[in-house]
Amino acid sequence: MRSGDFKETYGELVALTDSRPVWLWSAALLAALIVAPYLLNSYALSFLIIILITGVGALGLNILTGYTGLISLGHVGFLVTGAYAYAVVVSKYGMPPIVGFLAAGIVPALASLVVGAPSLRLKGLYLAITTLAFSFIINTVILEARTLTNGARGISVQRPEILGVSFDSDAAFTHLCLGFAIVTLLATLNIRRSRVGRAFVAIRDNDTAARVMGINLHAYKLFAFVTSAFITGIAGALYGIYLSFVSVEGFPFLLSIEALAILIVGGLGSALGAVLGTILIVLLPEATRLLFSVFSAQMDAIFSTGAQELKSMLYGLVIILFLRFQPRGLVGAWHDIRRLWANWPLRY
Amino acid sequence: MQYLIQLLISGLAIGAIYGLIAMGFAVIYKSTGLVNFAQGEMTMITAYVAWTISTTISGNVFVVAFGAILAAIVLGLVIERVVMRPMLGEPVFATVMVTIGLAVILRSSINFIWDAYPHGLDLGVGRDIVRIGGIGVRTGQIAVITALLLLLAAVWGFFRYSKFGIAMRAVAADDRTALLMGISATRVHAIAWAASSVIAGIAGVFFAISYDLSPAMFQLGLKAFPATILGGLDAVLGSGVGGLLIGITENLAGGYLGSGMKEVAGFAMIIVVLMVRPFGIFGERDIERV
Repeated sequence: MRSGDFKETYGELVALTDSRPVWLWSAALLAALIVAPYLLNSYALSFLIIILITGVGALGLNILTGYTGLISLGHVGFLVTGAYAYAVVVSKYGMPPIVGFLAAGIVPALASLVVGAPSLRLKGLYLAITTLAFSFIINTVILEARTLTNGARGISVQRPEILGVSFDSDAAFTHLCLGFAIVTLLATLNIRRSRVGRAFVAIRDNDTAARVMGINLHAYKLFAFVTSAFITGIAGALYGIYLSFVSVEGFPFLLSIEALAILIVGGLGSALGAVLGTILIVLLPEATRLLFSVFSAQMDAIFSTGAQELKSMLYGLVIILFLRFQPRGLVGAWHDIRRLWANWPLRY
Repeated sequence: MQYLIQLLISGLAIGAIYGLIAMGFAVIYKSTGLVNFAQGEMTMITAYVAWTISTTISGNVFVVAFGAILAAIVLGLVIERVVMRPMLGEPVFATVMVTIGLAVILRSSINFIWDAYPHGLDLGVGRDIVRIGGIGVRTGQIAVITALLLLLAAVWGFFRYSKFGIAMRAVAADDRTALLMGISATRVHAIAWAASSVIAGIAGVFFAISYDLSPAMFQLGLKAFPATILGGLDAVLGSGVGGLLIGITENLAGGYLGSGMKEVAGFAMIIVVLMVRPFGIFGERDIERV
């Protein structure tokens, strides 16, 4: 019987995974995701697209809040900046979509420097509220800069055509989102196991101690902000394309809360957690609707009249219940199950 | 000049409402070390209860005031007991996120229980116009500023002189040591939540009397954030003053720069202030040990 899992070199410690089955299952999942758009109907496909886009955003926030421990209540600000950057560059100035995606990353990254700059002086809740302030200010800036953004009228966005490949159909667009999601996932996983990622985690655990150990707080906090905003901006651009219309109303403040809820439900500070949390939170309203409609048509009627309210009440409830009963999130539950499976009937 | 004074007075009136809500934030922060993101929603619920009382039971000012205060106390106690107490001893981040979840639930329950349309809370008072030196001021505006000043004095005295107020400060400073000294932390938390709910509720009712009642009222909570931050999260008096400052800034920005600026003037102001003083104008600097 295996008595434990021992790592003997540094290389093994930072390897993405040491188990062959994990690679095999990941490959199987990837293959399934590539084939899925051709098999699913358009209703189910819309959920897959939303999961992929939200996943990119959640991974972006995970770098800042999960790894570095800087709580951001204003991530919707980066999302909307990214969406507008893409829309302005591509729809208004007719540049190629690749440039649009680059702009969707770079413009929020620059904006994040402005928010990130005070982050060395501000801690915890003060910082959270500064980011909240930023997201409101950015909305006003967008509404006021009418020549660039059309103000409250918004900008309509077409599905892109990149290097001669058209992403107009739902299936093709899913593949585009899938591509971005995989690149983002690999990027965050690799950031986490690099020197930079270890510095982030050290800052999260205790920033004064991290500073004493020679970590340049200001540089790394800013770097966390920039990376996080870059990724979130890309997610914003994808979301804008999916909605085919970019406006300030399309990105309500609730999205910031939703993103934090995803991280908490999944498990803070883990890329796998961000992915699991995304799936749960996106599918939650639909799952409850199905559950209710099984019970009675009457419940279904209540759901259709008060759907929006019940949906947000569920968010709230799920956040509270997870924090109360499973503070390590879905990832924590998964680890428990795995340990139970490996060690049964012993406890450890 | 006339225009400026008019802007200043309406700024003071709305600022007093922000100040009251901000005091609610600060009372909870001072005794539990938490920021309650559901403050705006609690404000809104109390105002809706007051409106329900005024339309169904009696429109008498005293009946409505009594009912609203009672409802606010019950709301605060229930939230503390059901939602917050199980989180005692958990990390601050987790507990603050719980209040965010709570805010989402309360906000949607408003739309669910009542409706999404605006209502006027008409108690037959507060809308008369008094002329002071040629400037028209509504009695409701005078009343809310007076209420803020009275409550500021009362809360200041409470934290400074009363035994329970000192116990609250002790719990905020270090809850374990406070427990060892024989202070019941749970009771302190319960009272803090009830008090904060009442203070916020008063703000909500005043807002509903002077303006109107709508599910968008929770934004008052967001507007009061800058006030609390400006004053310093742990400074109850500072929050009240911060509210007045934010109210005036907002109104001046709205009057002279345009309505878009009015929405964000407060937020822009705190970013500037926090650059200079990261713990607010009146807040105390945290000294921590590694």
